[in-house]
Amino acid sequence: MTTPRVVAAGASVLALLTATACGGGGGGGAADDNMHVWMYQDTLVVVQDAAVERFNAESDVQAVIDEVPGDNYEERLRTAMGSSEQPDVFFNWGAGSIQPYVEQDMLMPLDDLLAEDPELADAFIPSILEAGAVDGVQYGIPLRGTQPVILFYNEAVFEDVGVEPPQTWEDILDLVDAFDEAGVTPFALAGADPWTEQMWLQYLVDRIGGPEVFQRIHDGDMEGWRDPAVLEAAETVQDLVERGAFGDAYASVSYTEGGASTLLSEGRAAMHLMGSWEYSTHLDQDRAFAEEDLGYTVFPPVPDGEGDPANVVGNPTNFFSVTADTAYPEQAQEFLGYTSQEEYVADMVANGEVPTTTNAEEAVADSPNPEFATFQYEMVRDAPHFQLSWDQALPPETATPMVTEIESLFNGQSTPEQFVDALAAL
Amino acid sequence: MFAALPMVLVAYLSLTSWGGLGTPEFVGLENWSRLAGDPVMRRAVWLSLVLTVLNWIVQTPIALLLGVWAAGPQRNRAVLSAIFFLPLLLSSAAIAIIWRALLDPNFGPLAWLGPRLGLGSVDVLGGPTSAFAMIVFVTAWQFIPLHMLLYQGGARQIPASLYEAARIDGAGMLRSFWHITLPQLRHTITTSSVLMVVGSLTYFDTVLILTGGGPGTDTTIVPFLMYRAGFRSWELGYASAIAFTLVVVATVIALLLVRFTGFGSMRSTREGM
Amino acid sequence: MTTTTTRPRAAAAVRPRRSGSSGNRRRPNLLAGAGSLLWLAVVGVPLYALLVATFQRGENYTSDGPLTPPSDPTLDNYATAIENGLLGFVLNTAIVTLAVVVIVVALSATAGYAVVRSRTRWTNGVFRAFLLGLAIPSQAVIIPVYLIIVEMGLYDSLTAIVLPTAAFALPVCMLILVGSMRDISEELYEAMALDGAGSVRTFVQLVVPLSRPGLSTVAVYSALQAWNGFLFPLILTQSHDKRLITMGLFEFQGEYRVDVPGLLTAVVLSTVPLFVVYLVARRSLVAGLMGVGGK
Repeated sequence: MTTPRVVAAGASVLALLTATACGGGGGGGAADDNMHVWMYQDTLVVVQDAAVERFNAESDVQAVIDEVPGDNYEERLRTAMGSSEQPDVFFNWGAGSIQPYVEQDMLMPLDDLLAEDPELADAFIPSILEAGAVDGVQYGIPLRGTQPVILFYNEAVFEDVGVEPPQTWEDILDLVDAFDEAGVTPFALAGADPWTEQMWLQYLVDRIGGPEVFQRIHDGDMEGWRDPAVLEAAETVQDLVERGAFGDAYASVSYTEGGASTLLSEGRAAMHLMGSWEYSTHLDQDRAFAEEDLGYTVFPPVPDGEGDPANVVGNPTNFFSVTADTAYPEQAQEFLGYTSQEEYVADMVANGEVPTTTNAEEAVADSPNPEFATFQYEMVRDAPHFQLSWDQALPPETATPMVTEIESLFNGQSTPEQFVDALAAL
Repeated sequence: MFAALPMVLVAYLSLTSWGGLGTPEFVGLENWSRLAGDPVMRRAVWLSLVLTVLNWIVQTPIALLLGVWAAGPQRNRAVLSAIFFLPLLLSSAAIAIIWRALLDPNFGPLAWLGPRLGLGSVDVLGGPTSAFAMIVFVTAWQFIPLHMLLYQGGARQIPASLYEAARIDGAGMLRSFWHITLPQLRHTITTSSVLMVVGSLTYFDTVLILTGGGPGTDTTIVPFLMYRAGFRSWELGYASAIAFTLVVVATVIALLLVRFTGFGSMRSTREGM
Repeated sequence: MTTTTTRPRAAAAVRPRRSGSSGNRRRPNLLAGAGSLLWLAVVGVPLYALLVATFQRGENYTSDGPLTPPSDPTLDNYATAIENGLLGFVLNTAIVTLAVVVIVVALSATAGYAVVRSRTRWTNGVFRAFLLGLAIPSQAVIIPVYLIIVEMGLYDSLTAIVLPTAAFALPVCMLILVGSMRDISEELYEAMALDGAGSVRTFVQLVVPLSRPGLSTVAVYSALQAWNGFLFPLILTQSHDKRLITMGLFEFQGEYRVDVPGLLTAVVLSTVPLFVVYLVARRSLVAGLMGVGGK
C-alpha cells in the first residue's frame, strides 16, 4: 500500500462510517419516517400486508411491515426493545410475553382507546381480549385468528391402511401399531423445535390432571411439576416414543423449515399434532392436499383423566401492542382498529384462520374450508379452558430450560422421573 | 475499546441481575454461587473440554500430514491444495447450513443414501453421540484447511539440507519425518494448537445452526450456554458470569500452552526470518 | 503418484523468497498422497453435492439421488435467491468488510510501528494488553458489546458491526504486523534517519513497503473475519436492509421451508464474491493465511 492509497483508504473509512451511521440512524425511534410494524414471519402475514396497504392509502404516515423470522422473533424483539430502535407496533402473544416490557413502562396502555371506541372493544370475544391485558390494563389488540392445537391427519394414508381417525387413547395406541406395520410414521414430530413436543405434554397434562396442574406452576410454585399428572404425562410420552409413535428420525426435524408438515402431506407420516396454522401452511405449500386429504380431529381423552376432554391448548390469539415511545401514537392506535374491519376479518377467513371477533361465526362460512373453520370455531367456543402455550405463559428464564428438558424427555435422554426432578429444580 | 472495556463490563454485569431492559440491578455474588451449582453449566464445561481435546486430536494429525504433503513437489498438489482451500471461503453459518441439509433425516442425501445402505433412516443430528461427533467433524472440515496451510508454510521453511543429511545417513522416510519434520515444525504445532484450542472454546455459529445445542443439552458447550442464558432466557447477568468463566479458561489454557511449548521465546529465536 | 526426483524446486507456488529453504522432499510420500486423496473425497463430495443441488428443482431434490447430475437442470434457484434480496445482503457485507479491512490495516500498521520503534514502557504495556486480547473470544463479550452499542445509539446500523469486528481482529493483526516489522533491520532505520526522515516519512517510505506481506496477511485475515462474522450481526442488527450475508443465510433457512436447493443456492451465491477474490488473488490469500501462524 503506497501513500496515496493509505490516505484514500482512510478517507473512505470516514466516508463509510458517516454513511453507515446515517443509514443506521442515531437513536430516537425509527430511522426513517415510517411506522414500523413487526410481524412474526409466516404465511399468514399476507393479511397484515393487506391491512397496511389499506392503512397507507388513508394515512399521512406510512406503515411498513418488518417480517421477523420466527425462530428468533422474541430474541430480536427484546434486543430491539432494549435499544432506541424499537418498533412502533409489534406482534406478541399477550400476557406473559409482554410482561417484562410492561414492568419497564415500555408499552402504551390501550384502555383509553377502547373506552373511546366501544365498537373496537366489542368487536372481540371478551375472554380473548382479556389475554392481551396485564394486571387489568389492556396492552394488546388481537390481530390473528385463534390457534388451538389440533390433531391433523392425512386421510389418504388412513384409507390406504384401512383405519379410522382416533376417538380414544386406545385408538391412538392401535393406530401407532397399525401405521408402524404399514411402514408409515404414525406421528410427524419436529423434534428440533421443542415447542412442538410441548404441545403433546400440554395436552397430556391437561387431559390427565386438568388445567389446575399447570395453573399452580404458572403461579410460581415449581413444586407443581411434581404433580402425579406431570409424571404420568411424561411416562405416556416415553411409552409413545418407545412404541415408535414418532418414528426414529424426529429429533433433528425442524418445524420452521417445514420438515414435519411435508412428512404429513407426502404421506410419509399419518398424523401431526400442531396449531391450527398448519392448515394455512398446507394451503400455501400444497393446496390440493389441504383441500382434499387434510383431516383433523380433537386430542382424545386419556383413560381415567380428570381434565375435561373439551379443553384446548394453543394460543388463544396473537396481539398487536404499541411501544410507549413511538413517534406515531395516534396513527398506531388507528392502525390497531384495522384488525376488526370487515376486509381484515375476510382476509383472515380466506387464509383459513378463525377470527376472534364476535362476528366470526357468520364469517367462517366464507372460509375456503367452512367445515374446518366451523370445527375450529366451535372447539374454541365450547372449551371450558384454553391453555396458552407454556413457553409463552412462563417467564423466559424458566421457559428456556423447560423446553430443553422437554426435548430431552422426547429424545429418551432423560427418564420421566429425571424430567420431573429437573423441572421442579428450575 | 471493544475489547478491554467489555471485559470490565462483563465482570461488573456478572454481579447484577439484568434482563436487557432498564438498568442492571446489583445482586452481589448471586450469579456466581448459582453458576457453581448449575449442573447444565458443569456439563457444558465438560462438553467444551471434550470438544477441545477431540478437535485437537482429530485436526492436528490430518492438518499436519496434509500440510507436509502439500509442501512437497507432487505434480497434482497445486490442484488438490486449491480444492482443499475451498472450505476456508465458506462462513461457519454457510458450512453448518450445508451440513444440516446434507444430513437431514427425511429430505437430505443421507435420507436417500441410508436405506440404500440398509441403515434405515439415519438421524445423525438427533442422536446425542452422533450429533456431538458431527460438531467435531464439521469443525474439522472447516478448519483443517487453515491449519494445513500453517503446516504447509512451516514445512517449507525446513532447510532441505537437513533431509539431505538424513538421507546420507540412510534414514528412511518415516525416520526423517519423525526426527526432522516434527521437531522443525514444533513452533507451527504450537501456533496451530493455540488457535485450535482457543477456537474450540468459541464455536458458536456451528452449534446454533447445526444442532441448536441439542439434542437436549448434548451439544450445549459453554459459549452456546452463554448465548442461551443471555439471549433466550434473558438472564444477562448470569450469562455474563458464564462469559467471564469462558474468558478466564481460554486465557489460562492459552497461557499454559505458550509456557509449556516455549511459544513465548519463539519470536526471538526466529527473528529475522 | 510417483514423481521424478529431478523436478525443479520452483514448483512450489508460494514460497518465501529465501534461498536454501526449499522444502524439496525427494521421496514422494505415498501414504500422505493416499491420505490427501481421501481428504479430497471428504472435502469434494459435499461440495459437489452442494453444487448439484443448486441446479435441481425443489420437487426433484428428494427423488433424484444426491450425487447424480440433475435430470432436469434449472437456473430457477439462482433467480429466486437473487429476487429474495441476496444481492443487497452481499452489498452490505462488502461495505462492512471493506470498512473493517481499512480500519484494521490502518490501525494495526500505525500501532505496530509505534510498538516496534518506541520502546517505552507504555507502548510495551499496550502491546501486552493487546496480546491478552488474543485470548478473549468475541462471543464472551457480546453482552457488554451489545450494551455499548445500544448506549452509543448504533444498534441496528452497519457501524455497529464494523467497530467490534475490527476491534476483535486487531490483536491477531497486531501480532502479525509487529512480527513482520521487527524484521526490518536497524540499519535501514538509521539510513532513513540520516536522510533526515521523520517518523512519518520513515513509516510511509520504509515500514509500509517492507511489511507488505504482513499487511496483506492482516487484510486477508480481517476480511475473512468480517465476511464470515455471525454473532455481531445476529445480536447487533435486526432490520432487513441491514442484513449481512451470514444472517441472510441463517434466516433463509426458515423462509425456504423444505426448498433445500433454494437454500443451498443462497449459500453458493454468498460465497461467489470471496471465490472471485480467491481466483484473482490466490497467492496472496494463501500466503496471507500462512502468515497468520507463520510468526
